[in-house]
Amino acid sequence: MTCTAAAASRIATSWPSIARGVALVLGLLCATSARGQLPKPAPASAKPDDAIGIVDVRQRDLLQQPVAANWPSYNGDYTGARYSALSQVTPANTARLTAQWVFHPHTVSPLEVTPVVVAGVMFVTSANDAYALDAATGKVLWQHTRAVSQGLIDDPAQHHNRGVAVLGARVYMETDNAHLLCLDARSGNLIWDVAYATGNRNYGATSAPLAVKDKVIVGVAGGDDGVRGFVAAYDAETGAEKWRFWTIPGPGEKGNESWPGDLYLHGGGATWMPGTYDPDLNTLYWGTGNPAPDYDGSVRPGDDLYTSSLLALDPDTGRLKWYFQFSPHDLYDYDGVQTPVLINTRFKGRPRKLIVTANRNGFLYILDRTNGQFLFAKQFAQQLNWAKGIDENGRPIGANLIPDESGVRVCPANGGATNWYSPSYNSATHMFYFRSFEDCAVFRAKPTAFEPGAGYYATGARISDEPGKAWINAFDLDELDFAWRDPQIGPHKGWGGVMSTATGLVAYGDDAENFVILDGRTGKPLWHFHVGQLIHASPMSYAIRGRQYFAVAAGSDVFAFTLP
Amino acid sequence: MDRGLRVRALGIGLWIASASVLMHGQDDARLGARRYMEYCAGCHGTDARGGAKGPSLTSSAAVNRSDSELSATVRNGSRGGMPPFAQIGDANIQALIHFLRLLQGAGSANTPHQPPGDAGAGRALYFGKAQCSACHMMNGQGGFIARSLTHFARNRTPDAIRAVILNPDNPLIPSTQVVAVTTRAGEKLTGVLRNEDAFSLDLQTEDGRYHMLSRSDLMHIEYSGHSLMPRDYGTRLTPTELNDIVSFLMAAGKNEPSSEERDR
Repeated sequence: MTCTAAAASRIATSWPSIARGVALVLGLLCATSARGQLPKPAPASAKPDDAIGIVDVRQRDLLQQPVAANWPSYNGDYTGARYSALSQVTPANTARLTAQWVFHPHTVSPLEVTPVVVAGVMFVTSANDAYALDAATGKVLWQHTRAVSQGLIDDPAQHHNRGVAVLGARVYMETDNAHLLCLDARSGNLIWDVAYATGNRNYGATSAPLAVKDKVIVGVAGGDDGVRGFVAAYDAETGAEKWRFWTIPGPGEKGNESWPGDLYLHGGGATWMPGTYDPDLNTLYWGTGNPAPDYDGSVRPGDDLYTSSLLALDPDTGRLKWYFQFSPHDLYDYDGVQTPVLINTRFKGRPRKLIVTANRNGFLYILDRTNGQFLFAKQFAQQLNWAKGIDENGRPIGANLIPDESGVRVCPANGGATNWYSPSYNSATHMFYFRSFEDCAVFRAKPTAFEPGAGYYATGARISDEPGKAWINAFDLDELDFAWRDPQIGPHKGWGGVMSTATGLVAYGDDAENFVILDGRTGKPLWHFHVGQLIHASPMSYAIRGRQYFAVAAGSDVFAFTLP
Repeated sequence: MDRGLRVRALGIGLWIASASVLMHGQDDARLGARRYMEYCAGCHGTDARGGAKGPSLTSSAAVNRSDSELSATVRNGSRGGMPPFAQIGDANIQALIHFLRLLQGAGSANTPHQPPGDAGAGRALYFGKAQCSACHMMNGQGGFIARSLTHFARNRTPDAIRAVILNPDNPLIPSTQVVAVTTRAGEKLTGVLRNEDAFSLDLQTEDGRYHMLSRSDLMHIEYSGHSLMPRDYGTRLTPTELNDIVSFLMAAGKNEPSSEERDR
């Protein structure tokens, strides 16, 4: 059988016809066999054109590490490394990159989506809308529109959405009001819609789901507003709930002593970023947000499990394998949802399966991901006073700065020393790249009762007047120290994540509305493009017919760049 | 075919509106669509169902406001922070309100219509003899090459639904047109034209594959002037069967509340 694009699609359009069925079967067979020939980590040109245009994501596509032509999930591959094997753009030719197209979805700004690309089709979300684009031209193939929800509060009321998961010929997204939508990847038609967070009107969602095996994993937002966080898995075919892990333990469960009465129903621990997944260890790694109420810790004694933590979950059952809490009894809004990046490398001379993550609390952590053992911490926030250090078990040595009615100055501020914008691990340079931010805030606390439809901060944090300072950091995993730190120059507080490529390039949005590519070995900027809008999102790279592209959401647009 | 007149990629909301253009002036709707996208969509969304900055214009409150009330708001802005648009002129305001009415639904949103036949029999036809489900989903069941009909009947009268089944290409929705292309390499492809411009076109074949084509690679393009929808339902189905299908579309759509009606 000749599996050219033409063979799969030389169809009769007579109505209705056997030819339709034949064309469909032929198309599926061709798609399958074309995928069967795919080499593993591949230069852009190795992607057969036959695979272009048919969206059918198989397990092997999701398991490919590192990603190349396709970028099939939020972080590219399951490691969260945001590292692309594509090598067409190099330090030598980066300066020739040029804007290829701009897509303007109209509905929300700033976009926080990372585009997902499969077989030349790009999927992006904007508020509750999903779009399939021709990734070579930016033109719309389909769109699924859904009105933004009224009556939301806090983060979900901004209608931010970070993108889709794709499995088979289906696209999955979360909506602002925490529904999981299953769309047909070929048409955008809605297949099913599951409301997965009910019983508390302060729930919402902003994340991209994660497809693992035959399930789609979702989380919730609303951790500052008194929701009870959870990670939940849905059958990708039917939308039936398969398991749910509550991040705040209920009565009788370990850790419930922090949550007197019915406070466990309002303890936060939101799960508002996609996790990572190790297929060999069959473990899902998912970060949790701050406890609620945010600033008044007097009502939630103890460590407040499992807030500001990293959870290691069995993806088949949702069973907790282990956890590591970065910020026990957090009082400063230090969510622990920053991407836990899975890295296999030598650590102090011994090959290990690691998690590396830069936390909002100002420390970079290295853990053994087989068991959660703490291995290493490094302070990266230069202004940091909430802790005096990290002890040998990975527990912070607190400085006893407790918010009260008169206020206490704490660094980092409530926005954290880093945040949800993505880090990247580059196996070619052996460096871990991430954005950080230096500032302080005065935290105040006042006892407040939970109330539906209102925030549950129990008063607030005011950022100090002194100007903050942002950095792009390169942490060398051999030296266990910073190789370089690039101070960000510009009038805005940047929210641009980083990604990197096999040729050692690091791409990110800076603090002056530029999309920048620098040399990851040295930190030297190689190229920039002024997108004229602040970048509140993390970039990615993909290839079609041998051409490598970079794409990033900036303000209310998605931009794509390639070599001429 | 005048490509310049194609209103492209405005999405499902506009498809629905386009179908309704049958009953109104097409030119008015095109002008209104352009003005709506230019001045309104940024805040209220391309489908008028609300965006990050502006509320839904398809709520019953908005539907029930008169044309003159809506014109006044467009001209003068609102206390809620909507800027005034008097400067665009009354003709443009009238056109965009005309288009907004299409987005709100062709029929009256508030008048319940009596189904003309048997929805159960219609369901059997939809998934059986009439083969609607080969291309159209209903509540997630069915094909993908044509759009989902889950919400199709909402705000439509039985007569309007029947008219679309009997005359599917009137008007022809641009992104549903079947075209046949021949590449310079001699390859022939027939599929649905999802979008096109002077430089490229995206063709979707019935296996679901998108063919992303550069116009310079094509030797010949043949526009069929038709969608994939059969044009002989008037003879293939009896009037009773048609009524049954119309009733099924009306009943099925009711099972699926709009997102605005959903319980959070």
